Amino acid sequence: MSPLAELDGVGVRRPNALILRDVSLTLAPGEAVALFGANGSGKTTLLRVLATLTAPTSGAGRVLERTLGSPSVEEVRPRIGLVGHEPALFEALTLAENLRLVARLTGSGDPAGTAAGALEAVGLAGASGRLAADCSNGMRRRSDFARLLITRPDLLLLDEAHVGLDASASDLVERLVGATLAAGGAAVIVSHERERVAALTTRRLLLDDGTLGAA
Amino acid sequence: MSFWRQTAALVRAQTRSETRTGEVLLVVLPFGAAALFVIPMAVGADSALLQRVGPGLFWMVVLLFGIVVTQRRTAHPSGARSDLLRMLAVDPAARFTATAVVNWALLIAFEIVVGLVMIVLYDPVLTGWAWLVLVVPLSAAGLALVGTLAGSIADGAGVRTTLVPLLVLPVAIPLLLAAAQATEGLRLGTGILRWVLLLAITDLVLAIAGVLTARPLEESDS
Amino acid sequence: MTNLRPTPLDLAAIGTLATALVAGLVVPPDAVQGDLQRIMYVHVPSAWLAYLAFVVTLVGSVAYLVTSRMKWDRIAASSAELGVVFTGLALATGMIWGKPVWGVWWTWDARLVLTAVMFFVYLGYLALRRSMPEPAVRARRSAVFGVLAVVQVPIVHFSVIWWRSLHQPPTVLRPDEPQIDPPLLFALLMSVAAFTVVYAALMRHRIALEAIQSELEDAPEAVAGAAVRPPRLGGADV
Repeated sequence: MSPLAELDGVGVRRPNALILRDVSLTLAPGEAVALFGANGSGKTTLLRVLATLTAPTSGAGRVLERTLGSPSVEEVRPRIGLVGHEPALFEALTLAENLRLVARLTGSGDPAGTAAGALEAVGLAGASGRLAADCSNGMRRRSDFARLLITRPDLLLLDEAHVGLDASASDLVERLVGATLAAGGAAVIVSHERERVAALTTRRLLLDDGTLGAA
Repeated sequence: MSFWRQTAALVRAQTRSETRTGEVLLVVLPFGAAALFVIPMAVGADSALLQRVGPGLFWMVVLLFGIVVTQRRTAHPSGARSDLLRMLAVDPAARFTATAVVNWALLIAFEIVVGLVMIVLYDPVLTGWAWLVLVVPLSAAGLALVGTLAGSIADGAGVRTTLVPLLVLPVAIPLLLAAAQATEGLRLGTGILRWVLLLAITDLVLAIAGVLTARPLEESDS
Repeated sequence: MTNLRPTPLDLAAIGTLATALVAGLVVPPDAVQGDLQRIMYVHVPSAWLAYLAFVVTLVGSVAYLVTSRMKWDRIAASSAELGVVFTGLALATGMIWGKPVWGVWWTWDARLVLTAVMFFVYLGYLALRRSMPEPAVRARRSAVFGVLAVVQVPIVHFSVIWWRSLHQPPTVLRPDEPQIDPPLLFALLMSVAAFTVVYAALMRHRIALEAIQSELEDAPEAVAGAAVRPPRLGGADV
C-alpha cells in the first residue's frame, strides 16, 4: 500500500524566519509517530504542512496521493483530521450545534443524530446544549475529538494531544489513534508527555534545527 | 456536497451565532440610529434643511455603519475555525456567499429600522414609496457584497478593522451615489430608473467578483 | 546591488524633463488665463501618467494571478506607488489652477471626483500591502484588490457623470481637431513625453528596490527555533 504521506526535503520559510529547513518523512498505513521538539521548533508548522494547510516553500511532498501546494489537495482534506492548539469551535454555537454543522458539511443524512452520538461517545451528552464559549478547555478538546468521530479521518494529526484532558478522558486519544490505525490510517501526535505517547506510537521523532531525526 | 447545501449550512450557523451575540441588532443598529439623532447638533436643527438632506445623511449612516455590520465577528471566522472549514473542503465561494447573504439580511433590517428613525426625525418628502422596495434590498446587497469582499481581502491583517473602511469606501461610491440620487429623485418626482439600474449593475459586478476571487483569496492564507 | 550611477534612462528622464520645462516656460501664455495656464504642463501629464500607472498595476495584478510570478507583483506595486504620487500631483496642481479660474479649490466635477476616488483606492492598495508581511499572501491579496478596484472604475465614472458634469472637456483626445494652439500643444506633448520617461526611470529603480527588499526578507540560515533555549533559573538549566 502507498504511504499516506511523503515529505522530501520540505522547508517552510516566512519573512525573516526559517521555520522548517529540510524535513523528510514517510508515513505508512498503520503507523503512529510521536513528534517531540522544543518550543518554537516548528512542530505545529509541520502538522499544518501534513494537513495541506501550509504549502512548503521548498522541497516536495505528497499527502494521500496529492502533491503538496497543488489545488488537488482540497479533495483529500476531509480525510485528514487536525486537532490544533485552539479548539475549532464557533463560540456562539452550542457543542451540539457545532457538531451538527460539521455533520452537515460532511454530508451526513442525520446531522442531529450523528452529533448526539459523537457527543455521547466523548462523555459530553449532558453538555450538548452549552455554548462553546461557556465550556472549559478540556470540554472543548473533547468536542474536537467528537468531531473526529464524525469525520473518521485516514490521517490523524494531533497537536498537544493530552492538554486539558482529565483522567477519565485521557484514553480518548489512545482510542482514537487505535481506531484510525486499525482502519489502515496513520497518526502524528505532538506531545510533551513522552511516556504517555511512547506506548501509543511506533516511532518517535525529534524536530530540531528545522529537520527531523530520531528522538 | 453541493455548493448550495454548504451555503445553507453556513447561513444557518452564522444567523444563529448573530442572533445570539446580537452584535448588529443590539449594538450597531442603535448606534446608527443615535448618529442620525446627533447629526442635527452639528449641522443645525433647521427643519427645512434636514428635510432636504435627511435622506442623504441616512445613506451616509448606512454606508459607514454598514461597513461595521459586514465586519461583525461572526462573519469572518479566523484561526482554528477557518482551518476547520478548509479541512471540511467547504467551497470558498460558498463561504463568501453565505457571509454575503447574512450580511444582506442584516443590512436590510438595519436600513429599515434606521430609515424609520430618519423619517421620524427629519420628516422627508416621501413620494414613490414603492421604489424603496427595490432600492433598499439592492443597496443592502451591494454594501453586503463589497464589505464581505473587503473583509476577505484584509483577512489576517493586523489592522483589519481600520483597513476595511479604507478599502470599502472608494469602491462603494457608486452604491452611495445611486441610493442617494434615487431618494433625491423620489423627492423631486423625477425618474430614478437609471439609479436603480446602476445599483443592480454594481451588485452584479461585485457578486461575480466575490465568487471568482473567493478561492484565490483563501489559497493565500497559508 | 543596484548601481548608483545614472543609467541612460535616468539621463533621458532628466534631459526630457529639462527640455519640457524650457518649452513650458518659453511658449506664449494662454490668451485668456495668461501665465497661470502654464501649470497645465504639469497637471495634465500628471493625470495621464496616473491613469497609465494604474493600468500597469492592473496588468501586473492580472499577470500575477495567472502566473504567480513575483516579478509581476513588483511591477504592480511599484506602479501603484508612482500612480499615487502622480495622482496627488494632479489633484494638487488642479486645485492650484482651479482656485483663480473657478474661484474655489474644489468642485464636484465628474473627472475630479473620479481622480480623487482613484487616489483613495490606491492609498487603500498601499495600506493593504503594508499590513501583510508574508510576500505570497500580500501579492495575491493586493492583486485581487487591484483588479477589483479597476473593474469599479468605469462604474464610478458613469455614476459620477450621471451625477454631475465644470471640468474642461477633453482638449486633445476628442473627435474633432484639438482645441489648443500648436505651440501650446507642442509644449504639452513634450511634457507628457518627459513625464512618461520619468515614470519609466522611476519604475526601473522602484522595481529594483522591491527585488532587493525581497532578498532581505529571505530568512537567515539559522532556523527560528534556534533562538529558544532551555530556561536558566538561578544560573543553571531548570
